[in-house]
Amino acid sequence: MENERKNTEALNLICEDPWGALPESRQEREKIAGRNRSFFSDVWFRFRRKPTALAGLAVILILLIFALFGPYFTKYSYSDQNLDLVNIPPYLSVFEAEDGSCYFYITQSLKVVVVNKDGTLGRQLTRLREDEKQKMIFFDYNGEEIAIFYGMQPYVIANPVARTVMPRAKVWNRSYVLGTDTLGRDILTRLMYGTRVSLLVAFIAVIVNMVIGIVYGGISGYAGGAVDNIMMRIVDIISTIPLTLYVILIMVLLGSGLHSIIIAIGTVYWVDMARVVRGQVLTLKEQEFVVASKTIGSPTKTILTQHLIPNAMGPILVTVTMLIPSAIFMEAFLGYLGIGLQPPLASLGTMCNDATENLKSCPHQLFIPALVICLIMFAFNFVGDGLRDALDPKLKK
Amino acid sequence: MSEKTMLEVRDLTMHFMLNKSKNLKVHAVDGISFAIPRGKTLGLVGESGCGKSTCARTIIRIYDPTDGKIFLDGQDITRLSQKELKPLRKKMQMIFQDPYASLNARMVVRDIIAEPLLAHGIIHSKKEAGEYVYPMLERVGLTREHADRYAHEFSGGQRQRIGIARALILQPELVICDEPISALDVSIQAQVVNLLKDYQEEKGISYLFIAHDLSMVRYVSDQVGVMYLGQMAELCEAEEIYRKPLHPYTQGLLGSIPIPNPKLAREKVTSGIQGDIPSPVNPPEGCRFCPRCPYAKPVCSRETPRLKEVSPGHQVACHLY
Repeated sequence: MENERKNTEALNLICEDPWGALPESRQEREKIAGRNRSFFSDVWFRFRRKPTALAGLAVILILLIFALFGPYFTKYSYSDQNLDLVNIPPYLSVFEAEDGSCYFYITQSLKVVVVNKDGTLGRQLTRLREDEKQKMIFFDYNGEEIAIFYGMQPYVIANPVARTVMPRAKVWNRSYVLGTDTLGRDILTRLMYGTRVSLLVAFIAVIVNMVIGIVYGGISGYAGGAVDNIMMRIVDIISTIPLTLYVILIMVLLGSGLHSIIIAIGTVYWVDMARVVRGQVLTLKEQEFVVASKTIGSPTKTILTQHLIPNAMGPILVTVTMLIPSAIFMEAFLGYLGIGLQPPLASLGTMCNDATENLKSCPHQLFIPALVICLIMFAFNFVGDGLRDALDPKLKK
Repeated sequence: MSEKTMLEVRDLTMHFMLNKSKNLKVHAVDGISFAIPRGKTLGLVGESGCGKSTCARTIIRIYDPTDGKIFLDGQDITRLSQKELKPLRKKMQMIFQDPYASLNARMVVRDIIAEPLLAHGIIHSKKEAGEYVYPMLERVGLTREHADRYAHEFSGGQRQRIGIARALILQPELVICDEPISALDVSIQAQVVNLLKDYQEEKGISYLFIAHDLSMVRYVSDQVGVMYLGQMAELCEAEEIYRKPLHPYTQGLLGSIPIPNPKLAREKVTSGIQGDIPSPVNPPEGCRFCPRCPYAKPVCSRETPRLKEVSPGHQVACHLY
């Protein structure tokens, strides 16, 4: 409305004298037409134009929700074992009962489980006897006899009276959506806890790294001279120790468990951050606005917290998002080596480790946690990439 | 030193060590002396790299001077620690050359201008800043609405005025202007210079005004000092230096001012200075200007000329006088 009025005013003026200059008030000249946009809304504006970065962010959010709220929606706990139902896959090959009311599934230990029509697992049939001559194991189903015929591979369920193989079918497992592991634990539930552990490790490692790295790098870069030299040589020494070896040593010393993983990763990974922050501070402290702050007489604390760190935030954030995947990978790797979390606690690494035992018969047990590790790492890498571009003011349009 | 002297500098020397073992030093400032009376402006001119900015930064004690003395309002501040300097910083502020680099892009204007107030305990939280910041913003020709904007949203001239507001908010008695206008358009230069002049008339503060633009210096300064390779070549009243330049270097500098009238320009004797400024790491023996000086005599390459008074208020460092 206001704009319209101004426009018509301007138009009237032009019509009066088409070649005359428009009157210009001092107030108008100083006005900034653009919307008042803070630094972070500016970054968000550029970040959201990058589809991969947005997708990465979405995946991270979904995984967070999955890990944090998922366990409230499953009826299993990560430690509940059901030894009757071990190594059940998510997609079952079953045999249809003759009356058509349900399916039968042969477990790895040669037992027969009833699978309801909707795909949920029912009771286990009682075993009656085995007839080695006929290569059949007989089970009782509502008073009738059915049998596993192991004369052919893979084994089938047959009607021992009519000597016919029951019709085959495939159904999705509704009781254990992602199947069960070697101890009959629900993989989906364990995956939620595993993701939770991985993300927890990642975030704590990152917070520890940021705090130590920023303080250490900031002091080193700002102080300069001999202090900087000594502090950076310490960083060099720490970074020459093979990381994995060092982490394993810490785990041996402190015992395995979540706390020692976090301590181990937290005490080692900050060296990269310290280097990045130091480099940034070194270049920034020569900038005129920092010199200005010194001539004003601002204390060192203000210079560091108000001027240097906020301006170094771009590279810091990028380092963080690149650091998260490596922390997650380190945790998974330690879990895989068997020195991570102790059972029955689950992490993505220990789940992979457990699954390697029966990789041939149940590849899904390895595939699923490995996929989640990949997803997390991809997502953080994409977000890191997007942030780096979004934070680079040279790309500003 | 009279009561009225705001800033006095005696034989100020600032050398930067490049290589200790080879004893390589940059002779950025080499024995400069001048005094600025209260309420007056000293213009400091010279080519790029002649040590003007280093001089300014040494006076405001960003660098620790190698030698010499700095007196601010009669007090020797040459060897004070940063902690002891802090209360004195209220008296002495600086305006920087680059309006883009001298403001923190992550801060809003209110916080930028309030930083000196917070540093000196005049206010204790950012919430109280408005009371001081709004009048100052209006003083430099901006408005209240600008207080919540980020520095990168402003034009160069506006940014420089924000820098001036930051320097003036503590009501200093001496402001060191380190080429405050050289990064600005000509139309904006006048705006900024007039702002500084008006403020001086109002509050009676002193300026050390550094520039390489002689015509603008003439307009602001009461006295003008011409620097060459870390040394003062000539120092006198502003009008005098334009009317009667004595040092060959000053004459050359004045000859290089573009004249807007083409008819006049043709008549003007072109006496531009030949050659480049020598390296401050290895300055020439004797008079530092002698390799480029058209009137050089044998004595010039042997003896360093001292700054001497040739007529009342007119000092020059040259063997010709």
